[in-house]
Amino acid sequence: MSLPSRRRRALAAGALAVVLAGCSAGSGTSEPSSGDPAEAAPSTLAVGLAAEPASLDFTTTDGAAIPEALLYNVYETLVKLDSESGEVVPLLAEDYEVSDDGLTYTFTLHEDVTFSNGDEFTADDVKYSIERVQSEAWTVSLKEAMSIVGSVEVSSPTEVVVNLSEPSNDWLYRMTTRIGAMFSETGVDDLANTPVGTGPYVLDTFTRGDSLTLATRDDYWGEAPDVEEVTLRYFEDATAMNNALLSGGIDVIGTLQSPESLERFADDDRFEVLEGTTNGELVLSMNNARPPFDDVRVRQAVRHALDRQAILDTTYAGYGELIGSMVPPTDPWYEDLTDVAPYDPAQAQALLAEAGVSDLNVAFRIPNLPYAVTASQVVKSQLAEVGINAEIEVLEFPARWLDVVFQQNDYDMSLIAHVEPRDMTIFADPDYYFGYVDPEFQSTLEQAGTADSEQYVELMRQAARQLSEDAAADWLFVLPNLIVAEQDVQGLPVNRVSESFDLTGVTRA
Amino acid sequence: MLVQVLRRLAVFVLSLVAASVLVFAFMAVLPGDPAQIALGVSATPESVAATRAAFGTDRPLVVQYAGWVSGLPVGDFGSSYVSRTAIGPQILDRVQVTLWLVLCATALALVLALPLGVLAAARHRSASGAVVSGVSQLGIAVPSFLAGILLVTVFAVRLGVLPSGGWVPPAQNPGEFVRHLVLPVVALGVVQAAVLTRYVRSAVLDVLREDYVRTARAKGLGPLRALARHGFRNAAIPVVTVLALQVATLLIGAVVVERVFVIPGLGSLLLDGTANRDLLLVQGVVMVLVVAVLLVNLLVDLLYTVIDPRLRAG
Amino acid sequence: MSTAPDSQPAAQPAPVLGARGPAGRRRATAGLLIGAVLVGLVVLTALVSFVWTPYDPLQVDSTARLLGPSGEHLLGTDKFGRDTVSQLMLGARTTLFVGFIAVGLAAVVGIPLGVFASMSTSWLGAAVMRANDLLLAFPALLLAIMFGAVFGASTLTAMVAIGIATIPAFARIARSGALQVLSTEYVLAARAAGRRRVGIAVRHVLPNISGLLIVQASVSFAIAVLAEAALSFLGFGTRPPTPSWGRMLQESQEFLYLTPRLALVPGIAIAVAVLGFNLLGDGLRDRFDPKLEDR
Repeated sequence: MSLPSRRRRALAAGALAVVLAGCSAGSGTSEPSSGDPAEAAPSTLAVGLAAEPASLDFTTTDGAAIPEALLYNVYETLVKLDSESGEVVPLLAEDYEVSDDGLTYTFTLHEDVTFSNGDEFTADDVKYSIERVQSEAWTVSLKEAMSIVGSVEVSSPTEVVVNLSEPSNDWLYRMTTRIGAMFSETGVDDLANTPVGTGPYVLDTFTRGDSLTLATRDDYWGEAPDVEEVTLRYFEDATAMNNALLSGGIDVIGTLQSPESLERFADDDRFEVLEGTTNGELVLSMNNARPPFDDVRVRQAVRHALDRQAILDTTYAGYGELIGSMVPPTDPWYEDLTDVAPYDPAQAQALLAEAGVSDLNVAFRIPNLPYAVTASQVVKSQLAEVGINAEIEVLEFPARWLDVVFQQNDYDMSLIAHVEPRDMTIFADPDYYFGYVDPEFQSTLEQAGTADSEQYVELMRQAARQLSEDAAADWLFVLPNLIVAEQDVQGLPVNRVSESFDLTGVTRA
Repeated sequence: MLVQVLRRLAVFVLSLVAASVLVFAFMAVLPGDPAQIALGVSATPESVAATRAAFGTDRPLVVQYAGWVSGLPVGDFGSSYVSRTAIGPQILDRVQVTLWLVLCATALALVLALPLGVLAAARHRSASGAVVSGVSQLGIAVPSFLAGILLVTVFAVRLGVLPSGGWVPPAQNPGEFVRHLVLPVVALGVVQAAVLTRYVRSAVLDVLREDYVRTARAKGLGPLRALARHGFRNAAIPVVTVLALQVATLLIGAVVVERVFVIPGLGSLLLDGTANRDLLLVQGVVMVLVVAVLLVNLLVDLLYTVIDPRLRAG
Repeated sequence: MSTAPDSQPAAQPAPVLGARGPAGRRRATAGLLIGAVLVGLVVLTALVSFVWTPYDPLQVDSTARLLGPSGEHLLGTDKFGRDTVSQLMLGARTTLFVGFIAVGLAAVVGIPLGVFASMSTSWLGAAVMRANDLLLAFPALLLAIMFGAVFGASTLTAMVAIGIATIPAFARIARSGALQVLSTEYVLAARAAGRRRVGIAVRHVLPNISGLLIVQASVSFAIAVLAEAALSFLGFGTRPPTPSWGRMLQESQEFLYLTPRLALVPGIAIAVAVLGFNLLGDGLRDRFDPKLEDR
């Protein structure tokens, strides 16, 4: 089949920008008509998403589905990540200032902000929320990012000062994620079922196994969102989700799971296909801690053996982008590193010979996620060409994969998308399942953490290159964000660079 | 007869106990610590230990079993390790959904299978009988998920007359409820009908060969009238038996159709629970499914004891 | 698929699907013949796949993705560029393999239990049949999902689960058949002559119920094929890259709009196999079922 060329994709991205510009203009002009309450029926939207939240409490339950539904929509943060530019912008904080030594952050808060339970949002809540992350109440591992906070001082109801124990280029960014969510002391009794936040939406109903409905609240402090009721419907099965859109059961496919069906939607006037990018690097991990992949030459051989474009074509119908290291194109320190280990089977064989290995058998333990199941079969076939036999074993995700690969590190090779933002740091963790321990890389990252912002980018870039040259893993590509929406739906978060499926800017014509 | 009924009830209770032990023991050997899984990948050992204590998974297995099983009769299945919510209400929600699906499909199957089966039996020597038999054979051979996929493609995607899936509770919107139910019920029911037709046909054939029916026919009654006058009751017994068991096993059998049509039924709950390593939830769902089959078996057996004079004597 | 005839209770006669009379007899023979041909076709395909397939069924070729049927690829290729015919042939192997192991397991465990229960006069015989009833409460799909949860889903867990769930069917048919044989005069004579029970079971009972058992095996095989397909569809059966009809069907779902062929081909293959085994079973039943002779 014909694959979209780079050129065509570039055009699509251009068109997107125009569409987005148009949408904000459009919503401005449509104001008068929607301002007539007598006529306007409540506007609704149904979005299809893949993974259902296991619970609604992201303070104790891991998983991307919870912040995807709740962050920015129900819970708000002091600062948020703009889905267009990928930059940190103010949200609950009207403004913030960082001291010259990078240790003190002063946030000025919006006034008249209330939680959905009616309580006022003040600086005390900021202190409470940040300290709560550090307490036993939060159990998910992400809370570690808050350990850098030394103290929080409330200087007035609308001003709060956060003192870090050491400077960090990362902390403010982390405050845009779920750990930066603001809670009320009176609203944390039943987080698993009743979230209480300052956001424009409140949870209306949550029908497990089916859907989650958000409704706007009257007393929202900011500009009310255009769509009054949003239903997030969850589909285990990609085809079922496609069928739902085609038959009018939903209005938007939030993340298309079956790229092959995109052609079907692209040809249909009713729909618009949006292609954006994500933070999701598809990492082909190799267990650095044990043979055969403790030998850098064997790891490099694997990288040279793989034709990543072919894997991309098969897995995502050619959408997505080749990267070459643990950095998505939207990060400031991104650099195209695909030439570090280009597709070269002869080179792969030479490296294997040099390492003195032949007839290699490796345990290729993958999660039962559609992209992993597909990509792994291509990887297996390509590795066979250079004499590596990868034995695919599919493990249920999350439970079994986390147990076997992630916890016990009992694997040679695996394959999963790491979707957390700015997550190159996981390679610096010697206990992480990659088993990659490199003091030089660690110290580069450490320096970067406290460097000034210019140096920071340079050092991060250096670290990414180091990782790639060392073949700590292979980075197949960055997942595309494919959205299919009915024509009248505008303002969807095209790039999935934050943890949230940000609904606050969505409009319906 | 009373002794027999009591003995049957005793067997039922023993089976329940045995089943609960089996299910519990099976889940106890599952690899992976629920506390660890609930907390995510790099939780501290202390918090894992605390959560383990909160879940009660640090207690001896016998104590855990006793705690679990004693709640069952009152519908207390414990709290989910993953969502931290009570499991009982969740199962109740899902059972209702699946029951709607299964009962409607069974009703459809009956409506199709009864006349077709009787026809195939009464006309078993003619072409029409053969056609019915042949079609029912084909119907059995088509997997219900394939039927479902094709139905969606045609009626939801191509023609756009029915929704492709999803679930609307009857109380919320009766019209939409029915519209959403049509395709899954057809996918499940038609395959059921094919199976049932074969049973109806053979049951009716058996009755038609009984002496009293032969006598009636010798007196000049046609096969259908002879049957109508003398045989339906006798033919009904085996059919009802099969039907009852079909309903019981369909509670899990519907899982494939639930997956195709995105219906939040019991089977989907089981699959989700399995994927999330939600042990107690899986345990609860399996137990409900098993009890359903055992209960239906019990009822059928009791029915036999009451209806069938031969069994009553024996 | 869980609507298996194996869920029929003991008190109910096995459905007699072959019709009597000359026409019925002819039709039954025709059914048997068609069944045998279809099953033969599947078996032959599987056997041939051991020595020859048009292409390497696992060979991924990103330049030959989603090709339509042609002289080179009779049924086209899938999204990996793999040849559909070759996949189908290997899938037949998987299907038969699962069926054989599952039905074999059920027969090896179920038949001795059933025969034992029929001959035992102690409480043990009754207990065996009660345990058997309990097992009925665990349908194949449920067992397979449970096994998958514990051991990780694979072809092995699927076929063991299907096999265990099929045990009751064999135990019941073996027991009721054996009871009939045991009441015949020559067995009574053999018993009176002081023959040991194992000897009677092997020499008299098993040969006489073998017909019934073959019929049951054929019908169970059909159910096993459906169950495997359903499990693979749910992700609890055969794992990639091993081709399986159920998984081919599942993988081809996303192409339903563009290339429905990819879903129809394995769908038809499943139907052919199930139909074949069912027709074969019914045809054989007409030949073997002793009850039919005196009617």
